[in-house]
Amino acid sequence: MSSTSNYIPSENDLIQGCINGDRQMQELLYKRFAPKMYGVCLRYAGNTEDANDLLQEGFIKVYKNLAKFRSEGSFEGWIRRIFVNTSIEHFRKKVKLYNVTEAQENTLEDPDISVLDSLAEKDVIALVNELSPGYKTVFNMHVIEGYSHKEIASALGITEGTSKSQLARAKGVLKKSLEKKLNKTSNDNSQS
Amino acid sequence: MQNFQEKLYKYEATPPANVWEKISAELDANEAVKRIHPFRKRSRIVYYGLTIAASLIIIFVSSLFFNKKEPAGGEANSLASQQQNISIATGDDSMNSDVLASIIKQKDQPSTPESLQKKYITIKGPGGQSVKISSKAATLILSADNEYPPKPVWDKKINKWSEIMLSSTISPTATNLLDVVQISSLQTDN
Repeated sequence: MSSTSNYIPSENDLIQGCINGDRQMQELLYKRFAPKMYGVCLRYAGNTEDANDLLQEGFIKVYKNLAKFRSEGSFEGWIRRIFVNTSIEHFRKKVKLYNVTEAQENTLEDPDISVLDSLAEKDVIALVNELSPGYKTVFNMHVIEGYSHKEIASALGITEGTSKSQLARAKGVLKKSLEKKLNKTSNDNSQS
Repeated sequence: MQNFQEKLYKYEATPPANVWEKISAELDANEAVKRIHPFRKRSRIVYYGLTIAASLIIIFVSSLFFNKKEPAGGEANSLASQQQNISIATGDDSMNSDVLASIIKQKDQPSTPESLQKKYITIKGPGGQSVKISSKAATLILSADNEYPPKPVWDKKINKWSEIMLSSTISPTATNLLDVVQISSLQTDN
């Protein structure tokens, strides 16, 4: 790693080097994007072991598909999509979501979770990781990555209604967890 | 202050050092596979190319085979239409003569597969009926006008036929035929 520590190539050089199979360039690309992508993997996987596997699988896909990158959007955005898709594939293998009926969908509330803004990112991550894989994936895709329910439904092979209900339930669970956490904190403060 | 969405979107964490080692090892393994099978991708292209080429050859050969068969039917049709044309063209005796003369001219020319097909022709008979005759007979018919004198070989053939007819007991001779006519006329008178 020391051989690559002082050299900062341009994005194009980095891409071309990786396409040519230059191991030094591949390592530089990894070092540049690994922390951000590891953050994505941790959000979807929920544990470090699965996150490590996702990171490895995602970077191998990035190197294999670099020649297909057309510079139409941001390079980071392109890499992020690969990691999100890899995480979704991983999730789809493990969890089966059951579609909800329209009646069930209409009874669901949309809880306000803006109180999460007051928490530190570590605490928010910890709360999100407490969600079940189904809730967590839909929450990450819709709230964090900005996917529409239609896109989520298509990616996960579920209905839009199921996507909406999963999100509403995820928010409900997050709100309850947050209330518990805040109560505990206030209790701890009053005792001290 | 950032909202929680932004915080989560920009969330970063340092991955364990062994992840890159695993990635590097996997890339090495992929490179090794590429070195062992350098033409894997190309051989696939060659395989598909050969498949397409073989298919095209089969289609080409089949089309040649069927095209060869089709002209046989086509020739038969053209012959039939030619015969029809001749019979239409033979509206009178002079036309018959023209048709026959053209056939003889064709016969004098070196024989070709096409000319061999024109073995039979249809002409108009004395009663206006269509008569299908051998093109060989055209020579005989025309020889009656002395316009196209028959070849010596025909003289021999005609003599041979008349000998056969005269010697035959089954076919009536000219005398026997007259006898039959005479008897029938007598019966009518009675």
